[in-house]
Amino acid sequence: MSDNHRTDSDILLDIRGLKTYFHLDEGTVRAVDGVDFTVPRGTTIGIVGESGCGKSVTAFSILQLVERPGRIEEGSIVLNTGGQNRVDIAALEHDSEELRQIRGKDIAMIFQEPMTSLSMMYTVGFQMAEAIRLHMDVSKEEARDRAIEMLQAVGIPRPEQRFDAYPFELSGGMRQRVMIAMALSCDPMLLIADEPTTALDVTTQAQILELMQRLQEEFGMAIMLITHDLGVVAEMCSEVVVMYLGEVVEQADVDTIFHNPQHPYTQALLESIPRLGHSHEGRLNPILGSVPDPYHRPSGCPFHPRCTQVITGRCETVHPEISQLDPRHTVRCLLHEEPHG
Amino acid sequence: MLQYILQRVLLMIPTLFGISLLSFGIIQLPPGDYLTFYVAELSAQGEEVSEAMLAQLERQYGLGRPWYVQYFLWVRNIITKGDFGRSFTWNKPVNDLIWDRVGYTMMITLLTVVFVWIVALLIGKYAATHQYSPGDYIATFVGFIGLAVPNFLLALLLLYYSLKFFGLSPAGLFSPEYQDAPWSVGKWIDFLSHLWIPIVILGTAGTAGSIRIMRANLLDELHKPYVITARAKGVPERTLIWRYPVRVALNPFISTVGWTLPELVSGSVIVSVVLNLPTTGPLLLGALLQQDMFLAGSFILLVSVLTVIGTLISDILLAWLDPRIRLS
Repeated sequence: MSDNHRTDSDILLDIRGLKTYFHLDEGTVRAVDGVDFTVPRGTTIGIVGESGCGKSVTAFSILQLVERPGRIEEGSIVLNTGGQNRVDIAALEHDSEELRQIRGKDIAMIFQEPMTSLSMMYTVGFQMAEAIRLHMDVSKEEARDRAIEMLQAVGIPRPEQRFDAYPFELSGGMRQRVMIAMALSCDPMLLIADEPTTALDVTTQAQILELMQRLQEEFGMAIMLITHDLGVVAEMCSEVVVMYLGEVVEQADVDTIFHNPQHPYTQALLESIPRLGHSHEGRLNPILGSVPDPYHRPSGCPFHPRCTQVITGRCETVHPEISQLDPRHTVRCLLHEEPHG
Repeated sequence: MLQYILQRVLLMIPTLFGISLLSFGIIQLPPGDYLTFYVAELSAQGEEVSEAMLAQLERQYGLGRPWYVQYFLWVRNIITKGDFGRSFTWNKPVNDLIWDRVGYTMMITLLTVVFVWIVALLIGKYAATHQYSPGDYIATFVGFIGLAVPNFLLALLLLYYSLKFFGLSPAGLFSPEYQDAPWSVGKWIDFLSHLWIPIVILGTAGTAGSIRIMRANLLDELHKPYVITARAKGVPERTLIWRYPVRVALNPFISTVGWTLPELVSGSVIVSVVLNLPTTGPLLLGALLQQDMFLAGSFILLVSVLTVIGTLISDILLAWLDPRIRLS
């Protein structure tokens, strides 16, 4: 989707003012602190940022998978399943029938650790058929056929035999394929992929990403890809959300993010990528400093202690609002705020 | 799987041989033998024991021969005739003395294990899924009390209070009128009404410990990625907990069968004495005190065999439960 006039029904998921806090003995960690973004139907959106910026917690919040002491404090996560069917997932009861119908059916999720994401006590087939039978009115045999068909679709050789295999008999890459097959078995509208390739070796990474792209064309679902790998983003995503300390600092289409980034943090992230032939005296350009201690968020703009373009006297005190640079490009930075914005 | 079981069974043979040798050696360890005890007994009653009489007794019991000959004869009779020898004190074959008691012991033991498992599983699961809730704290508190109070004390208290408040004597496994009566519906009801007391008392400490084990294991598993995967699939919370983390947390439970069996046979001695239960405990205690070596030896051998069988059962159960063990 490259049009600049997106209608309401093109929006699959609309996240507004999402706040997810962890109440610990040492204090409250505001892991997600007022996140807004939308996921358009059928596209791939990348959520990027350093470790601890709230990417995963945002993803877990969408399916209400954040465990105690974490809690969604505020905000709405509206899923538009088509027509006038809108559900605010954040408002659903924990373990309610409605929520369970969304989990795995409308929104499916795959995780970082394929080695531990499947239970070792049950066969691949059992775990897949379980998901299928929860959401589709099918017999055991039909569920089995569907599972084998999905295993085939994700490129697992001899799927009939793999159906009866235990996860520990498969390699990491195969397990992630099984996870993808399981996630897509009920034809979800959104696939949330939380760093799906981080734990895999580079060759397998490429294969899994390619597989996800191919399946997106085939199944037409939207993908929300959480990653800290900007190379992956460039290859996979059409839209990018950049997060820092629980806030969205910039959102734009992928070309804008890579060629015309406006937030100093986005610029610094891009600067820090090692590039062949573009090395500055052979050294990396890291972002200054490190992510601050989660209990002591900097005042004002949370990025100001590490920012190279800091406006002394303002950035320490004023928390920037979101500025709309053009219809599909927003940024949260004082450099871009209107004088009286 | 079949090969695995066969392998384990074959491995049991040298183990049992070693154990029987060791148990026989242990009984021989204390200075003196049954004759020493017998002579002392007779002297205490003022009777003289002549040399000739001693020699005759020695020959009668075969006590004069070297220990390995005694061991060989004993084992040969067990294997070929199922004869465990003769008890000196009771002047009866060991077989007549132990099997009734072994039956009751096994029954009480198995029921106790089942009781411990069910209670510990339910309470442990509740405590883990409701960590730091009042219910968890109560379970922990009761658990530690149960662990700390000696079983025999609990038995004494229960006897005292049931006599004081209900005028009942819950000791033994039968009321006096049924003690020697043939089995009937009435005797069964009477038996069952007595049975729960030893089960609860013997099970308390085990339950308390198992609750802690269950709670700790489940807490380890509850937040594993595979649990989150299942939740993200839309599995209802109740099904999810039992099907995924509890299933894994069961492993250490099953592994304990191996030592629960023999511990309940030998470890319940004091409770059995206090409650006057017709189990193996009191008989074993007596046999050891009186150096009644074939009786004591048979018991120790039996307890060892139970340990080995218990371990085998737990291994088979584990393999059945956990595909990682079964397939590797």
